[in-house]
Amino acid sequence: MNIQHNDALRDHLSAAYVLGTLKGGARRRFETLRRNSALIEQEVLTWQERLSPLAEFCPAVTPPTRVWHAIEKQLERSATQQDSYWSFWRNLRNDLSFWRGLGMVSTSAAVIMVAVLTFKQPGQPLAPTASYVATLTDDKSQAVMVITGDTLHHQLIAKILSKQPLAADKSMELWAVPKNGSPRSLGLVKADGTITLPLPDNVTPESIPLLAVTLEPKGGSPNPNGPTGPVVLKGAWVQI
Amino acid sequence: MAIAKKDTQSFRALYDAASPKLFGFVLRILVKRELAEEVLQESFVNIWNNAASYQPHLAAPMTWMTTIVRNKAFDMLRRVEDTVEIDNDTFDKEVMEALESPDPTPIESLQITDDAKALARCFKRLEGLHQQAIALAFYHDLSHSEVAEQLKLPIGTVKTWIRRGLERLRMCLTKMESA
Repeated sequence: MNIQHNDALRDHLSAAYVLGTLKGGARRRFETLRRNSALIEQEVLTWQERLSPLAEFCPAVTPPTRVWHAIEKQLERSATQQDSYWSFWRNLRNDLSFWRGLGMVSTSAAVIMVAVLTFKQPGQPLAPTASYVATLTDDKSQAVMVITGDTLHHQLIAKILSKQPLAADKSMELWAVPKNGSPRSLGLVKADGTITLPLPDNVTPESIPLLAVTLEPKGGSPNPNGPTGPVVLKGAWVQI
Repeated sequence: MAIAKKDTQSFRALYDAASPKLFGFVLRILVKRELAEEVLQESFVNIWNNAASYQPHLAAPMTWMTTIVRNKAFDMLRRVEDTVEIDNDTFDKEVMEALESPDPTPIESLQITDDAKALARCFKRLEGLHQQAIALAFYHDLSHSEVAEQLKLPIGTVKTWIRRGLERLRMCLTKMESA
């Protein structure tokens, strides 16, 4: 049974998933399908939109003020943590050897700042996991996407910072642009603006100084040797 | 949404506006106040931290927040499992009366979002037991067999009711949207 091509089944499973009656192995299988299909994701969002107002059928109860205080306190705590990350990076910025290590790429400080703020998990420093970063900018030099490469876990993660308008028949494709030779596709940007994929061993800043995103027909470039559409985002791939 | 820019004041305003509804919802799921408070707190911290990735074109703010709150409440429910008792008074009294009334006016005067009013109009067309089966699953994370146990009905009946009920809701809401 292929739920991609069976509208009634897709609708039924999405509804059961959102309602919660889809349980166990069936639920996990559905979640995998959902991650890989924009169509199913859309159906799930639609059902969430339909059923979530059920929450409002319960009597409203004003929470005690201590809940807000606890939230405030928790947010202050994480804000202080964030400050210490900032000063950590500020100090590094003043360290000459650090600059030399970056090869004096002028945007590096901004690249790293954005990456820290985008990917920072509360209570976890960024440094041990991210080895490479790139901030991709558009033609107006606005930072649009941040990409980190994690050599320890062999993972490449991209995250869009501001949603880009995208026609329904187009996809955004991420490319590794080598010093010599043709660009290599790393994958398509998902509808939610993210990409997570295994970090290929040879995608290092030495061999790949640049990452770029092009606008391609839906499903990606039809040309196996490179992009067919215009470059919409680009940025230097640097080592931290 | 302004909270996407990490604006504390608007976050406070959002909390003031949405927390009574969300807290009422969490209380319905978890019954115990201290658990509900903990979940509400966790949820709003999560909302703040994820505000930047919230995509307004994909979901209405209330839907997005309700989904976060519901997931967190269910996580908590799994952690404490056996201690939560299901309360059969599923809906708010005024909502219940509005659903039962043949007159459409009571729904219009409820203090709920337009999306919730639309759902109430469609929900009203379902039979009482069908409403209850769907609500039990939605609020309490129940499987078909658990809903059947609660309603003291065969599982096959419950499965069919829920499936048909959801189908009817979809048709009714889609029709209302295009009207």
